[in-house]
Amino acid sequence: MTQTRLDDDGLSLDRIGIYAILLGLVVFYLLPLEAGIVTSFKTMRAYGQTAPFLPALGGFTVAQWSSAVDQLSAGLFNSVLMAVPATVFSALLGSMTAYGLTNIDWRGQVGVYVLFVAGIFVPYQAVLVPLKRFWSQWAPLHIWLEPIWNLTGLGTDYAGLLALTITHIAYGIPICTLLFRSYYKSVSDEMVEAARLDGASIRRIYRRIILPLSVPMFAVTLIYQFTQIWNDLLFALIIVGPGDASVITQSLIGIGQSEAVTNFPLQMAAAFVTALPTLLVYIFFGEQFAKGVTA
Amino acid sequence: MAELELDDLTKVFVEDDGNEIVAVDGVDVTVADGEFLVLVGPSGCGKSTTLRMIAGLESITSGELRLAGERINERKPADRNTAMVFQSYALYPHMTVKQNMSFGLEESTDMPAAEIAETVTEAAEMMGIGDLLDRKPGELSGGQQQRVALGRAIVRDPEVFLMDEPLSNLDAKLRSKMRTELQRLQDDLDVTTIYVTHDQTEAMTMGDRIAVLDDGVLQQVGTPLECYHEPANRFVADFIGEPAMNFFEVEVQGDRLLAEDFAYPVSNETLSTVGDRTELSLGIRPEDIELRTEASSPHDFETVVDVVEPTGDENNLYLTFDPDASEPDTFIATTGGMNRIEAGQPIVAHVPEDAIHLFDADTGQAVKNRSLDDAETLGRAV
Repeated sequence: MTQTRLDDDGLSLDRIGIYAILLGLVVFYLLPLEAGIVTSFKTMRAYGQTAPFLPALGGFTVAQWSSAVDQLSAGLFNSVLMAVPATVFSALLGSMTAYGLTNIDWRGQVGVYVLFVAGIFVPYQAVLVPLKRFWSQWAPLHIWLEPIWNLTGLGTDYAGLLALTITHIAYGIPICTLLFRSYYKSVSDEMVEAARLDGASIRRIYRRIILPLSVPMFAVTLIYQFTQIWNDLLFALIIVGPGDASVITQSLIGIGQSEAVTNFPLQMAAAFVTALPTLLVYIFFGEQFAKGVTA
Repeated sequence: MAELELDDLTKVFVEDDGNEIVAVDGVDVTVADGEFLVLVGPSGCGKSTTLRMIAGLESITSGELRLAGERINERKPADRNTAMVFQSYALYPHMTVKQNMSFGLEESTDMPAAEIAETVTEAAEMMGIGDLLDRKPGELSGGQQQRVALGRAIVRDPEVFLMDEPLSNLDAKLRSKMRTELQRLQDDLDVTTIYVTHDQTEAMTMGDRIAVLDDGVLQQVGTPLECYHEPANRFVADFIGEPAMNFFEVEVQGDRLLAEDFAYPVSNETLSTVGDRTELSLGIRPEDIELRTEASSPHDFETVVDVVEPTGDENNLYLTFDPDASEPDTFIATTGGMNRIEAGQPIVAHVPEDAIHLFDADTGQAVKNRSLDDAETLGRAV
């Protein structure tokens, strides 16, 4: 009853105020995005003559986008090559770890779990130097895997990309473990016991019971990890460095800056091209993601 | 089919701070081949732990578990030839009914797929869920899920069925229906069964024998009627029977038992069984109290009806000696549902001497049980 009455005299001053504030916030948050999109379709001339958030009627062009895709395609390829396996393996290993720490009973598992949790809080900056030394001196993949680089013709630069992939997997395991563990705690103990009585081994229980039930949580970790790994620049700069194997975030830094004037429209287009895959992942896994978050 | 022996089975849990908790303390029972044994007791009495030790889900601290004479303490759960039905049914939610029932055979045997499918279909028909084979547990009602859980156990063709309160998630009507069905099923399959419950009605109605457990200690093993009429101690007397037995703390004085509100004269025969004990508990089942209008014998006591609980077929009367108290102490008598009795009405309760139970006040051990001229033959005939 109260609700309908509020709706009836809906145009009270209070409501107008609320809507005005909401509208203001929407504009505030969306304006930079709108400006970015509009700008990415402008020629350099039009960019100079119009306000950033207004469309340039005379100077519309898609050249910036095609140029961005051209310049970023190598980075895009490398990023996919690195981010997809890194995401999948960190989620998978995190899931297995969480299963071992949650649904199987053994001594000292709390201690091990605490180590994993601590791993989440190790800041990137703290490990940069050790990480660089590790990959160059202790685990020189460019030397160890030389036949592979020669055979595939990828070149030793890609040893850095492999190192980056492994680093992201390792760095992602703790948070994935934490996420999966909270999910596996809600899995019925009786059901796991029933599977044990049915004769399934620990591995088979994971494979046939736990893994199929984890789909929503995989959506959560896949989206989270993919976004993290795709957007990372710091590790890429340290481990991969400039060269053939650069990932897309590395390519993005330099784009549009080589010319006399910074080419903002090109930078905008490039930024959107770079962000597109993370957006797609959200769209593809969105429904499962919602299930996993609410589970 | 096989005999299952629990020989001095003990489970001690050690907590993180080193505290030891004895959950099951030297339980000794032999379950005969094809027998339906109900393990009953209040929550936390160790009945589920006992069952889990038999299943192999919990290690055995000491004692021996033998199946068909062979020690199985160290065997893996899957190798013990038992199948368990859980309270929550524990079905695999992502699998269809068919897959749920096949899972155990796929994991523990080399049976070819066609044979598994046949066995599963057969068991499903038997449980009346043949048309649900392609559904998932989430699409089934509680009763149907229950049947799937039972079917999953039957498919394994085990030597022993272990059931952990399998009916407690069902509504009352379905529960009593499934109770009958389970009994019939167990009868048909003739598989040794251990059934855990906290519900004394299930224990009384379903078991060939009942094992009453309290605080990890076995109190009594016997047929339902033995436990009902010849309880080994006060705990069993109190636990079995609904409404529960009435107890009065009494003191022996000469040939009378002196309670707070009454004196109960007893025969020499009873006195001799009491011996030199002075503190006793006097127990009388509600249905053994006869109601009269006038006191005419020394075993008649004038009381006042405090509350009447009609259940249709009978009335539960809460009687008191002290009607003026705001919350008077009461004891229960049952009477036919057609008797018109109202709260506040005075009534005479006759407590026949051949129906009373006497328990040692300290140890709770039965000193004298009711005489069983009729009931004894009944109990043995079961």
